[in-house]
Amino acid sequence: MKGIFVDFDALFGHLGQHTVDGLSKGSIYALVALGYTLVYGVLRLINFAHSEVFMIGTFTVVGTWSVLGATDSPAIGTVILLLLAGLVAAAAVSGATAVAVERVAYRRLRRMNAPPLIFLITAIGLSLVLSEAFGIWQGRLVKGMPTVIERSVLFTIGNTEVTNVQVITVLAALIMMFGLDVFINRTRYGRGVRAVAQDPDTAALMGVNKDRVIALIFLLGGLLAGAAALLYCVRYGNTRFNVGFVLGLKAFTAAVLGGIGNLRGALLGGLLLGVVEVYAATLTSSAWEDVAAFVVLVVVLLFRPTGLLGESLGRARA
Amino acid sequence: MLLEIDNLTLRYGRIEALHGISITVGEGEIVALIGANGAGKTTTMRAVSGLRPVATGTVRFAGEDITNLRADLRVIRGICQSPEGRGIFPGMTVLENLDMGAYTRRDTAGIAADLDRVFGLFPRLAERRKQAGGTLSGGEQQMLAVGRALMARPKLLLLDEPSMGLAPMVIQQIFEIITEINQQGTTILLVEQNAQQALSRAHRAYVLETGKIVQEGTGQELLTDSRVRDAYLGVA
Repeated sequence: MKGIFVDFDALFGHLGQHTVDGLSKGSIYALVALGYTLVYGVLRLINFAHSEVFMIGTFTVVGTWSVLGATDSPAIGTVILLLLAGLVAAAAVSGATAVAVERVAYRRLRRMNAPPLIFLITAIGLSLVLSEAFGIWQGRLVKGMPTVIERSVLFTIGNTEVTNVQVITVLAALIMMFGLDVFINRTRYGRGVRAVAQDPDTAALMGVNKDRVIALIFLLGGLLAGAAALLYCVRYGNTRFNVGFVLGLKAFTAAVLGGIGNLRGALLGGLLLGVVEVYAATLTSSAWEDVAAFVVLVVVLLFRPTGLLGESLGRARA
Repeated sequence: MLLEIDNLTLRYGRIEALHGISITVGEGEIVALIGANGAGKTTTMRAVSGLRPVATGTVRFAGEDITNLRADLRVIRGICQSPEGRGIFPGMTVLENLDMGAYTRRDTAGIAADLDRVFGLFPRLAERRKQAGGTLSGGEQQMLAVGRALMARPKLLLLDEPSMGLAPMVIQQIFEIITEINQQGTTILLVEQNAQQALSRAHRAYVLETGKIVQEGTGQELLTDSRVRDAYLGVA
């Protein structure tokens, strides 16, 4: 045992490489973080069940690929089909799960004007119920899946090799972020979401149906978590009933880091967290990546308690 | 009658805030509701707009019982409120705030016409259309709140304390515009602490004291009534 061994050469010798890898890892965090931040921005509720919405998405991908008879590194046409089918299925199932969670649990509590603590405990309870239910149904072991995309170097900048999986992950995340941003800031429904986030009573006075807006944000969060689930499957090639726990915690951290309630903050926080983790893992060992992630969170919150971008969903200006 | 509130009671927990009040507003009228802090004016307003559930009694609008109708559906029926404290969406621009007023509408041409009308009534808002609502002055925010409610093209406009926290000159200006809006054909229910202004603008008015209506009459009658003068007009 050598204690903590810090290997600067490993990091700085391939800084670009690690940055790219961190960004692709962080893209998945960012997509899941959006679900936390959307719900928090409107309801001031930390929806801990969101990690399970993601988990269910990964199992949906496994199921879809198995139904379609996916194999390791199929032909390019099949790859595109599998990715699209996985995306649609995971987004649909995760979206439906998120909406169901809101309908079954939170809406009743809202009707009763339950205090925030009750919501929080319900969220944690739901998270446990969902993940344990999948533990019983799907087994508690790691579930593998075919390697649909064979990892290969797409292009090289300097000594940085960028793989196809990294490009797909980052691009997909950015496109969805952009789409969400446009939806929230430029459409009528998006304006309704912002109105409820900023002032729920006045929003109702303007004719906004609050229940519909809340269902909408859960749906959006679920769709993005489903997309994140597909990217996770492509990147890691396996899942497990409790896959949502650590990933959900990281995504939540990313949301807080960027400023919870702030959409662009979730993107920034997610990417930053991914990069920090990869740097830390390279400097020492992967055992330290979680430590580094949460140390960064603590340090940022010490100096900026509202996170890096810090404004709520409603107040964030385009 | 456009609005009929009949024997309305409303509770906050165990405390009864309104003890059976009845108010009517006829088409084309300005009706004022005056009273001290805590008399139940805003509570009455929230019962009409649907933000507070009522305990007993009925609210009828254009002949239809809306007592238990959701707030957002009342907007579609033609009731729009400019809330107490203005309720400006701070992160939205002036234009976006006004668009929120037209949230339930789909008639693009009509919305554009109403936007012109609002900018005609409040030229300041036109100058500041790209500015965030949260950065406006109190008077500008009040204009925005009234203009936004007009964007719903309401049959009944509810104005809750439009003069609150404003300088006397701005108050004068706001009330002139309220009269103008009424003359253009919008019925108005007005809640005010500034009894002088409210009574001189209103066709009829009600005096609310601790959740009960203690007096009613035309604006002019109440302006000259000795009890009202003593209690609300600060005339010795």
